[in-house]
Amino acid sequence: MSGDRFTRRSLMLASGGVVGMGAVAVRMAHLQTSDFLSGEWTEQARENRYDRRVVTPPRGIIYDRFGVHLATTRRDYRVSVIPQDVDSDPRRVTPQSRQADLTRTIGVVAGLLGHDEAWVRRRVREAMVANAYEPFVLRQGLHWDEFCAINVRLPELKGVSADDSETRSYPLGPVFAHPIGYVQKPTQREIDRVLEQGPEGERRAVYLRTPDVRLGKSGLEKTMESTLHGEAGWRLVEVNAQGRPVSEHSGGERKPKPGGGIVLTIDADLQRTAMEAFGEQAGSAIVMDTVTGDVLVMASAPGFDPNLFVNGIGQQEFRALNEDEKHPLYHKALTGSYSPGSTFKMVVGIAAKQAGLTDDWKVNCPGFFPFGGRNFHCWKRGGHGTVNMHSAIKGSCDVYFYRAALYAGPERIANVARALGFGQTYGVDVPLPGLNVTTAEKKGIVPDPAWWREIGRGKWTDGLTVNFGIGQGDLQVTPIQLAVYTARLASNGRAVMPRLVREGPGVREPQAFPMLPHLDPSHLAAVRAGMYGVSNEGGGTAISASNLGIVRMPDGRIVRATPETRNLPPVRIAGKTGTAQVRVITAAERLRGVKSNDSLAWRLRDHALFVCFGPWDDPRYACAVVVEHGGGGSAVAGPIAREIMRETLLKDPSRRPPARLAQLEADGREVPA
Amino acid sequence: MSSGVLTMAGKVVGGVGRLNWGIITVLCAIAFIGVMMHFSVSEGAWAGMPLTHSMRFMSLLAVAIVLAATPPRWWYEAAYPLYGVVLLLLVGVEVFGETRMGATRWLSIGPLSVQPSEFMKVTIVMALARYYNDLRPDRATTLLWSLPAFLLLCVPVGLVMHQPDLGTGMLIAFAGIAIVFLAGLSWRYIVPALVIAAVGAVAAYQFVLHDYQRARVNVFLGLADDPLGEGYHVLQSKIAIGSAGLFGQGWMQGSQAQLNFLPEKHTDFIFTMIVEEFGLFGGLLVLLLFAMLMGLAISVAARVRSQAPNAYFQKLAVAGVAATLACYVLINTGMVMGLVPVVGIPLPLISYGGTAMTTLMVCFGLVLSIDNHRDSASARRVR
Repeated sequence: MSGDRFTRRSLMLASGGVVGMGAVAVRMAHLQTSDFLSGEWTEQARENRYDRRVVTPPRGIIYDRFGVHLATTRRDYRVSVIPQDVDSDPRRVTPQSRQADLTRTIGVVAGLLGHDEAWVRRRVREAMVANAYEPFVLRQGLHWDEFCAINVRLPELKGVSADDSETRSYPLGPVFAHPIGYVQKPTQREIDRVLEQGPEGERRAVYLRTPDVRLGKSGLEKTMESTLHGEAGWRLVEVNAQGRPVSEHSGGERKPKPGGGIVLTIDADLQRTAMEAFGEQAGSAIVMDTVTGDVLVMASAPGFDPNLFVNGIGQQEFRALNEDEKHPLYHKALTGSYSPGSTFKMVVGIAAKQAGLTDDWKVNCPGFFPFGGRNFHCWKRGGHGTVNMHSAIKGSCDVYFYRAALYAGPERIANVARALGFGQTYGVDVPLPGLNVTTAEKKGIVPDPAWWREIGRGKWTDGLTVNFGIGQGDLQVTPIQLAVYTARLASNGRAVMPRLVREGPGVREPQAFPMLPHLDPSHLAAVRAGMYGVSNEGGGTAISASNLGIVRMPDGRIVRATPETRNLPPVRIAGKTGTAQVRVITAAERLRGVKSNDSLAWRLRDHALFVCFGPWDDPRYACAVVVEHGGGGSAVAGPIAREIMRETLLKDPSRRPPARLAQLEADGREVPA
Repeated sequence: MSSGVLTMAGKVVGGVGRLNWGIITVLCAIAFIGVMMHFSVSEGAWAGMPLTHSMRFMSLLAVAIVLAATPPRWWYEAAYPLYGVVLLLLVGVEVFGETRMGATRWLSIGPLSVQPSEFMKVTIVMALARYYNDLRPDRATTLLWSLPAFLLLCVPVGLVMHQPDLGTGMLIAFAGIAIVFLAGLSWRYIVPALVIAAVGAVAAYQFVLHDYQRARVNVFLGLADDPLGEGYHVLQSKIAIGSAGLFGQGWMQGSQAQLNFLPEKHTDFIFTMIVEEFGLFGGLLVLLLFAMLMGLAISVAARVRSQAPNAYFQKLAVAGVAATLACYVLINTGMVMGLVPVVGIPLPLISYGGTAMTTLMVCFGLVLSIDNHRDSASARRVR
């Protein structure tokens, strides 16, 4: 019967429907149960819903020894555009329309900021490939009036916003460019490198791509990165499927841990004095505290503005800096290697004394020294006449030290040179052990017969020893080594070690420096007396440096000389000039008459050096100055050193109470943002 | 003249009392859920989708009630002519059709833009019901006499599939097959047919399906892993359903839907949004309502008196509507949970869109009409 069959089959169909719906219900329940067990779907929904936005930590502040801000964080005004929001007709968006709208909008901004067509084209090109829902930064570092001008026009500039962010700032600019360095956006290479480190590296790469993240690229910013950077925080922002934030509602956050501050040993005033003293000259100056090893000045001239690098330096600007023959980007104080020239003569003198040479030992200087079939010349063409060690140092007699070097022998000279600080690095820019960064310092070269053999040049000759005696030849030293050397001489042979960071996480208080072994203080005293003669006695090569125009008050304070202070004792310094030959003078040239430095191209002129310490009667500060291609040491380097030393002695920073980091950090936090 | 109109009006008013209020109540409940979801999609704005959806439903409910007053005989008589007209329209689509988004489904007649494939869902049920009604009962079991029925079915299905519109084509085919099955085709043919269908499915996959359809099948079968492409819809839907829990995240609070991670949330994927916002219980409630609707329709079919004229047409047509409804619901809900491949089939009365709602409400107009006139003969005798 068809009726029964229909009933049977319709029931079958109905039950099929019910079974189907049951299957759907079971599937639904299963999806939810599996989520209940694993949390998988909830987690995915949460991941969809919230975007984890990196919150960059404020970078640690770098202070000078008295709390002056050298590297800090300042408000930066910037103008951004959200490409998605510029469309004049959001319902019909094509790449062409987007590009046209961006060009129009950015064109208006460029008009307000005074940028040209090329700038607009470049920005449009970049904005077209940026995330359309995120603000794309058109320009940072707006002046207040520019910021206002943009703000006034904002209502008609759809998609444009002007806001502020925190950016690294170097208030003293070029003055501290080298010791502090600068930060920059991580490069693609750095990101690629961390990407190779597995899943952890991927997370790190995501962080490095965050627009506000900056890493130290040179100087202490680089070596102290781990201290200064701090720990990033994050915030969960509710976003829609296009990645656009939809509410202020946050799904949780972790506050960033601010970077730690550091206090340098440098005195910002003296550093500025040093940089100014160089004027147009290139070179470097270091001032050290001979008791604590504190580096008070570490200047490399010319400077450059590190602020240019923070938000990306233009290619042309960078090329101009990079190709400048005065090498402004070069940290000359640590990485410049020079022949020490006559500033090395104290080493030779001490070595000769160690070998048994006495003060009675006198040499007649006719202006040249015939040896090994050739003439070694003295800088003074007529000669010095008869000289002993004191007058030889004072007049910088080359002939005396040619012979003193032969007397001492190269090994002894090299040993004394190393003991006094040459041929080694101090890691002054890497103040913490285990930072996984290497010092920028150059080691320099202290030659001796063993080294000579090692590099495959065969047997050392006495001719080399003669040259060694006046600090020429293969000998290479850096300004920081010259400063350490001078400090060790001044402290009568203590193993003074330089330091750049007074206070910071993990930085330890220095111990008192021990006496250097194998050095006789009387030998040091003898050469120091010669140095005194250089700048204070007739015949001294730097007698012009003698009058610093400062006197010591009865209470010990050092002040500028005035008519009222004429009866007070002047404060004196002791020093030594040096001239490092840049090019070898040929015999033919000597016959024609040596050309004066002034008639040579700048880059062929000799380097001028000057080392000194003061006050003479109670040495506290040691100073080394190198003026690249400056000509003679006395004419160029001496006045710069005198200027720096006068200011140093007047301020006497070692006797003033330094700033304490804890206090500085506490003060800093009270300042309203 | 005026008395004729009065009689007609009297029949409609008198018929209201005998209307199947159970079916109407469930229809209203389902449509109400739809309105609520569109309110949520519009982020709490009444104007727009929620308003349109409710206006549309109210007018179509009125149409269904008017249709309920029509005698089943009219439906029987109209079955073949309507089928013929819709078939012509489908051919018209082939020839003059308007192509939107790569598919030719629409036909413009004056200001109207119609989708004839939708009407075919109703007319195929009516035409096949009439065919089996007119056939001698013992012949319905045979293959030979089933062939005309298959012809009636295959021509429109072929035309719709060619548009291409896989979802609608499948629905028409399922509705037709359901009627052939109900009419009593012998199991001797059903079992081989299933085997051939399985082989045919593989062949269709290889030669008939369009690339976008094949891509969806691939993702469904796990042959392709494409979480941001074709698999994205289903993945996001699974995330939304899985994370909903027993009672959901609350009305207008579903993050997947509200933040646009869920695509097509107001049309094909609206069931996901229901579950996300109202949880497992919300989903079960919707399924239960549809099951009730199906059950009510089946019971209407069961209660058709065999003495009534065209009784078999009435039974088959009502059961066919129930089967079509079940197909809609199962394919749609199965799709959003990754049980069946993604095909564009809306959830009846809830998804936004006029055509599918019109089709379904006309179908239920037919069901109401048949239920309404179940006792018409006896009623007349009493009066």
